[in-house]
Order: sequence, then C-alpha cells, then structure tokens
Amino acid sequence: MANNDMEAQEALARDFQPALEGPLVGDKKSSLAITEEYAKADPIYVVKTSALPQKYSHYRPVLGDGNCGWRAAGFSYFETLLRLRNKAQLEEEVARITSLNNLLKTAGGFSEWVYEDMAEEVTGLLSDLANLLPHSIPQAEATLRERFNDPSISNSIVYYFRLLASSWLKANPASYEGFIPDGLGVDGYTKNWIEPVNQEIDHLGMTLLIDALLKPVGFAVEIVYLDRSEGSQANSHVFQSEDANGVPTNPAGPMIHLLYRPSHYDILYKDQAPQIQIPQNTNIQVQRATSLSHRHNIQTTPAVMGDMSGLDMSIFSCIPGFSLQQQSHHGFPSQYNTTPLEAYTPSSISVSPISPGASSAKVSSNGLPATFPAQPPPPNSLTPPTLPSTHSAFPPPTTQLPILTHLPAPHRPSLSSHTSLSGHPLSSELSSPSSASSFRPSKYEWEAAAEWEGPVVFQTSTFKNSHYNVAHYNNPNFQPEEWTPESEDPPTGRKRSS
Amino acid sequence: MTQKRISKELQECLTTPPAGIKVNLVDEGNIHNWNIVMDGPADSPYVGGKFQLLLVLPTEYPFKPPKINFKTRIYHPNVTFDEHGSMCIGILKSDSWKPSSRIPNVLTAIQQLLLEPVPDDAVEQGAAQKFKEDRKAFDKEARDMTKKYAK
Repeated sequence: MANNDMEAQEALARDFQPALEGPLVGDKKSSLAITEEYAKADPIYVVKTSALPQKYSHYRPVLGDGNCGWRAAGFSYFETLLRLRNKAQLEEEVARITSLNNLLKTAGGFSEWVYEDMAEEVTGLLSDLANLLPHSIPQAEATLRERFNDPSISNSIVYYFRLLASSWLKANPASYEGFIPDGLGVDGYTKNWIEPVNQEIDHLGMTLLIDALLKPVGFAVEIVYLDRSEGSQANSHVFQSEDANGVPTNPAGPMIHLLYRPSHYDILYKDQAPQIQIPQNTNIQVQRATSLSHRHNIQTTPAVMGDMSGLDMSIFSCIPGFSLQQQSHHGFPSQYNTTPLEAYTPSSISVSPISPGASSAKVSSNGLPATFPAQPPPPNSLTPPTLPSTHSAFPPPTTQLPILTHLPAPHRPSLSSHTSLSGHPLSSELSSPSSASSFRPSKYEWEAAAEWEGPVVFQTSTFKNSHYNVAHYNNPNFQPEEWTPESEDPPTGRKRSS
Repeated sequence: MTQKRISKELQECLTTPPAGIKVNLVDEGNIHNWNIVMDGPADSPYVGGKFQLLLVLPTEYPFKPPKINFKTRIYHPNVTFDEHGSMCIGILKSDSWKPSSRIPNVLTAIQQLLLEPVPDDAVEQGAAQKFKEDRKAFDKEARDMTKKYAK
C-alpha cells in the first residue's frame, strides 16, 4: 500500500468527525451506514464495524454539537418509555420528574427560575406522549422527534438532564468522588464538566445520568465502544441496577443501546421496529453492482442481513439451504461454511457469468476470516452486461435471471408465472393477500404483507420474491410453478424438503 | 420555551435593579431587547456619565449568553471605542456562560468592569496601554470622553 494511502487511512480512523450539520436527532437508519463509513478506515475499525450490524440492525445519528451524549441518552429515555406502550408509566414519570425538582433545588442548589422552564419541557413532553399513546403511536413518535429537533425545546430538555446529573452528584458525593477527574472536587467538576452548555458528556456524567434518570425507571444501558482497542468486536459495557451482590435487579427490563466513538454518541437498535424501506434496499443493490471490491461486498453484507432480521424474518431465509427453523444466531458461521457451496451448485444451464461457488472461493482466497457470514452475490452483480434491452418491459432484471438451483427449466421469465397461474391448483394460495390476480405483489403491497403474521413468509427484502428466494420452500404445501410450453418436456420440479 | 425565566428576570430588573442601573424594554411587545442605562460608578473616571447599553437575549437564551453593547461611547480598554461598543467580559463569553448565570449579575459585572478595567484582555489596545503606563492620563481621557459623550 502506498504511503499516502496509509496516512489517509490512519487519518480517517483517528479523526472521526461527528456530523455538525443536520437534525439534532436524525432518522433511524440501517447500521450498514456505519460499516460503509469505515470501509476505508484501518482494519480494526473495518472488522469491528462489519460485526456491528449483526447485533444492532439500526442506528440513529445524533448531532455532534457537544450535547450528543446527553441528547442520545435523553432521547432514548423517552423513546423507550414510548416503546413500552404504558401510559401509566409515562404518567408516573411525570410525577417522578416533578418530584425531582426538589433534588435540583436542595441538593443541586439551583434556583427555581433556572430549571422550571426546562423541567416543564420534560414533563410536558412526557404527558403529551402519555396522552397521544392510546390514540396514535406514530403521532407520539413524531412528537418526540419534533421536540428533540426543535433546538430551544431540545436544549432545554438536555440542560435539564445536566442539572439533574449535577444535583445527583451533589446529593451522593461519596459514591462518585473517586471518579472525579483532576482533583476538581464535586463543585469544580459540575462547574467545568456538567454545567457548561456545550461540554460533551464524560464517563462520569453518563454514569450520573444513567443512575439518576434511567436506573430508577428500570432501564439498562449498554454502551458499545467503537475504538482502536484490540478485538474483532466493539467492546461494550452494560449499566443496570444491581443489588449488593452485583446481580441485576431487573434483568428483563428494557435496554438502551448507545454507540460510543471517541467523544461522540449515537443510538443503536437491536432488531426491532422494522422500518421497511424498499428504496433503501434498491440502493444497496445498485451500490454493490457497481462495487469492484470484494472486501467492500463482504463488509456490507452483515448489515443487509441485519436489515432482514429487522423485517421479522430469519436472516437465514435469504440463503438457499437455510430454513426458517434455524433461527438461532449462534452457530451461524459454521453452518455457512458448508452449506452455500452445496446449495449454490449452479445448474448446468445457468447463464450466470459468475458462479456463486467461484465467488465463495474468492472470499477465502482474499484472506478474510472464514467466519464472516458471506452472502450469495446479489442478483444485480450477476446480471450480464449484455442483458437484452427488450426485457425492460418486464419487471426488473433481478427477478428474471435464470434460477440457479432446484429447477431444471432453463428459463423462468417472470411472465411465465402469470401465464401459468390460471391452470395451477395452488395459484390462489400463492398469491399475495391483496392481489389475487398477480403472483408477485408490488412493493406497495409489501408493507401489508410484512405485517401479516403468518407462519411462513415468502419474501425477503433483498430478494423479494425472486427465484433466488427460497423462503417458499419452507411452506410444506409449496409447489413451484413453472413455465411449461407444450413444446418442452413436462416439468420435473424437484422440491427441496423443508 | 424560556419565556417564564425571561419574564422573571425582567421583572426583577424592572422592580429592583442593581444600584445605579435602570432597565426598560426597547419595545413593550418584545421581552428580548432591553434598554439599560448605567450610571458611571462613583470611584471611576466615568462618574457623572449616563451610559446607554442595549441587551439582546438570543433565541437560544439561556443556553447562549445575552449580547450587550454600549450605545454610548466610552473610553475603556475592554469596550470598542466606536458605534458598536462591543464588550469583552468574561461572564458573557460563550465558553464560560452558564444557563444559571443571571442578567442582574451580568449588569453588576459590567459596573465592576468600569471600576476595574482588565487591560490584559483588552479590545482597545491604545486605552489599555495608557491605562497600564500612565493611569493619570488614562483617567483624564476617560473623564473627557465621558463629558463629551455620556452627559
């Protein structure tokens, strides 16, 4: 590697700059974005960020304005209360925050006029969420995002948390004195580290906020540290209420996940609240099709899978040979090592220029850890550049490539499924709930289909219902449809047992 | 958002302002712009002068400090001797400003600055130099300027 490349890499790793423009609290995104951000960083970051999306499907960026840690933890406090869907608890929090004013006044030594406007923003938001909760959860979520992105409200709430942490420290100096840096003492520390408006939260500040705000309501906080320390995964630490023996007092309680990068915090999410965004997946495909780097492909893979697990599906269902029964995240790599090669043995009639087997071989020859969950190459990357343009009248090329496995028919263009529907006994069962006439639901029907909690889901977000998607095979009643023109031999559809 | 706090602080400054200070609103409908009239402190060369200041509370108040400018020209190392009257005072610097700082305290801090200039943190280098090297000449100049502008 050229010297200046090396320097550029090191600079990138060293100088992570959190966003200084944009919303105070951003929209939830696939954590793939973090992986991509570090794709050219030093290898420790590449490995750690590649592993990140397997555990945390989404993240929410927080503006790096010196308040991100306070804002990230504060936003998560409200969001978690909302997630619990418990109006009574939100109302209890209004009462608790109101009673904490006494702590701010007596222990904190703050005059009422300093905190009253700020405390009112906190209790006001809590009671507004409590009132919205029974009627419209999306509206409650929108209200939360709006308040946190209105600078004067957001900063009031954030500063309230500073005052709370400061008061908590002053009320319990013995528990924290040993952690105060530079011999500042309680007063010096609160004046220099907690109370200045744009002073980023430090470790003690975060501990104080968690102890004062989050532990009493039973929330645990996991902080994932993304730094240059050794290891293949980011280290993490869980803060939660523990009894005298160090046993968590509320082990089943909700957990907030925060991603820490030197001097910056964002919010992480684990496989919940699926936000189905078809365009996002389209982007991934386009990007991968244009990517020439195998390394890059692999890095992006786990996030794609995280995405799909966010869709309430087994992430493995997108890999041929895996059934939905294999839901456990454990042991996945070893299963991968053997199965995809077998499952992807290309049929002799495949026209794909790159066989999946060859692709897998490249993965290992690249010297990357074999435990990386790789994925079959995305359909777009297989698309021969000379794909006849006449196909453009049909659905996108990804859905009309010849299937690689299981079916002997040399061509199964999408048109065939439509034409063969009428005669097929199972056709109505296979149709999407809202479209009896078309086997393939449009992307607009997808959201409804995802909410349908049937035992078997036939689609995954990446593959949709293309021929690559083998989720169908988990349906015991599944019978592949085939295009069987009279002139050809009758189909001998092999069905993969599930 | 923070109207309550601003109203309280304004109320306090209107009814019981620090000695030698008068406060009123520039425009009754807007509690963010305050007119301040400050008497020159007794033991300073500014005595006898009445200095007008404009205090503006930014929308980010109290997370950002108020902005205060001398509308009356004043010969002082820490105030620009021009139509802006920009001031350099510790309590109003954004890195030392705290939301728990109060406007009455800011006003007394400005009075204190008139009594004790801080030449090492000057914005008017000429005045600062004269203050350090020839205090008598500085005082005379300050008195003359006070007579000229602050009567």
